[in-house]
Amino acid sequence: MTVSLRKKRRPGEAVIRGFLFIAAALSILTTVGIVFELGKEALLFFRTEEASMAEFLSSTHWQPAILDFGIWPLVLATLTTSVMAMIVALPVGLATAIFLSEYATPRVRGLMKPILEVLAGIPTVVYGYFALTFMTPLLRSIFGVSLVEIFNTASAGIVVGILIIPLVSSMSEDALHAVPLSLREASYGVGATKLETSLRVVLPAALSGITAAFVVSISRAIGETMVVAIAAGAGPKNFTFGEDSLFGYILNPFVAGETMTGHIVRISGGDLSYNSIDYNSIFAIGLALFVITLLLNVVSRRFVARFREVYE
Amino acid sequence: MPHHRRTPMPHHRRRRALVLLAALALAAVACGGDDRRGQVTTIATTAATQAPAASADSEGPMASSGPDTFGLDPVDPLSVSGDIAVAGSSTVFPLAEAMAARFEDEGYSGLITIDSIGSGAGFERFCVAGESDITNASRPIRDAEVESCQAIGRDPIEFRVGTDALAVTVSPGNTFVTDLSVAELAVLFSTATTWRDVRADFPANPIQRFIPGTDSGTFDYFVEEVFHEDEGPILAAGNTQLSEDDNVLVQGISGDGCDPSNASTTCAVGFFGYAFFAENSDRLSVLDIESVEPTAESVNMNTYPLARPMFMYSTASIIAEKPQVGAFLSFVLQFVNEEIGEVGYFPAPDAVLQAAADELAAAL
Repeated sequence: MTVSLRKKRRPGEAVIRGFLFIAAALSILTTVGIVFELGKEALLFFRTEEASMAEFLSSTHWQPAILDFGIWPLVLATLTTSVMAMIVALPVGLATAIFLSEYATPRVRGLMKPILEVLAGIPTVVYGYFALTFMTPLLRSIFGVSLVEIFNTASAGIVVGILIIPLVSSMSEDALHAVPLSLREASYGVGATKLETSLRVVLPAALSGITAAFVVSISRAIGETMVVAIAAGAGPKNFTFGEDSLFGYILNPFVAGETMTGHIVRISGGDLSYNSIDYNSIFAIGLALFVITLLLNVVSRRFVARFREVYE
Repeated sequence: MPHHRRTPMPHHRRRRALVLLAALALAAVACGGDDRRGQVTTIATTAATQAPAASADSEGPMASSGPDTFGLDPVDPLSVSGDIAVAGSSTVFPLAEAMAARFEDEGYSGLITIDSIGSGAGFERFCVAGESDITNASRPIRDAEVESCQAIGRDPIEFRVGTDALAVTVSPGNTFVTDLSVAELAVLFSTATTWRDVRADFPANPIQRFIPGTDSGTFDYFVEEVFHEDEGPILAAGNTQLSEDDNVLVQGISGDGCDPSNASTTCAVGFFGYAFFAENSDRLSVLDIESVEPTAESVNMNTYPLARPMFMYSTASIIAEKPQVGAFLSFVLQFVNEEIGEVGYFPAPDAVLQAAADELAAAL
């Protein structure tokens, strides 16, 4: 009787392997497909006589029905809501993460994490009406009705911030938690307090993870659709440099503005005809959105590569 | 080292974050597509729950089918089944919805969907995609639309079902304006930035405009009547919010915070179908146009300048192929006058309804 030392054939293993590969490939193929479709339709848009890349990137008026195709009003509104969202989400989310990872007892942690995740499970349309019927009246009672319009980017941005707190805190908490315990022990060993350890040792060590959390959150804020569609406004905030005041109107978060995603939702809500330039223009906006998030990603990778502290 | 394997940021996690990021960015774009349907009302009826109640009622409508059936045969919704796809004007939407609800209450057992997407988009779906059975419209069909309909073998028949008075409204806080001329409307919705630009004795509060989107028949009609079919000025105006969703407009106008004694407060103005004013008359004020108030009388006498017909369109071939469509249209024409006041619109003249009924009778 000899014992075969050859690798045993396991056909089941191959099937499982194949299945897992297909699952992984599926999302990548979807991404490729969407980028292709976006690019193709956007190209159709830039090829038309009415639109040009130069106008798209330089004009400050967007109104497809009268052939004004300048992306800036939409981009600025998107930036305004995203910045507002980040002002809310990053500090609160990071503080939550530090608390959960460094301060909370396992019991508190076990209780708080699921509750935070419930916040992430609320449909965004509910957040949209929360912005319109709670946050806007609140802002108006604080800053005055004459200053805050009924639809405004501040209210939408703050609520988008609340919406992404769980994302920031949960991803940052993962990163903080992954920092080796030996680092903390060494820090305590040289006499550092808990706060010093958290902020000067653990936080820098988890920087790359936290940056990733921030970038995902910013992309989420830029791409968030329902909240801004409901609460931010329903018309592009067209402006002319020199004529409109920069802080009173162009960058004023209390004025209504329409974000890129909000605009796509609104104009496609009317069943646009497939051959119209309006229809193609939404793909150009989509492509611009994609490029913005991609750039953000590249920059953050550079950032992480440069400041990351590796402990191995 | 028990924690040795906990590296600060495992490589695979960064990868995962990247894929997640890409997926999110794309999801944002894809969401636009998902939300296309906007406002869709689907009234599904399960025969089991509705039938008993309906059969009890079914003698009612037969008996009370009223003095005027315009020569159409009575419709028994109990015997009607099969799906009906309706799409189009957001103005006609509340009326179509009310008629569909009544049709179902009286025993119709199919599925009727009514999409509120604007007249232009409704014709697009009817004439280009050929996906809907009935188009609601707040303006007559255009020649180009008739042509594209005929290109796919559809020959549209027009049924006028009622009259709308386009309501120009402001918030109750706006006490200085009660009446505007058509010429003033043109200034108000284009070049003016403050109310003083419209009329010298108005206060200098800034104007914010809430208008229906460019896909809506209401927008087209307003541009036609006020701007002589040139949509440039109204779209180039600053501080303008456009929406196909009339509730957004109502919300925006009623929440403007207008205070005539404080010139820094914005005073909003907007327009939409009269039903949306009727439904929200507690939080909006409607303006007279050329000193004529929109009422049943002024609309009937044709003195209100912004009164316009409301239509449903279908074709003889669809009616032949789907008897439920013909039954529904016949039901609409026979009972529309009992519902239209409730919805907030005005009846079409009897002679016009009679003409529509004759058209339908010929197609049935």
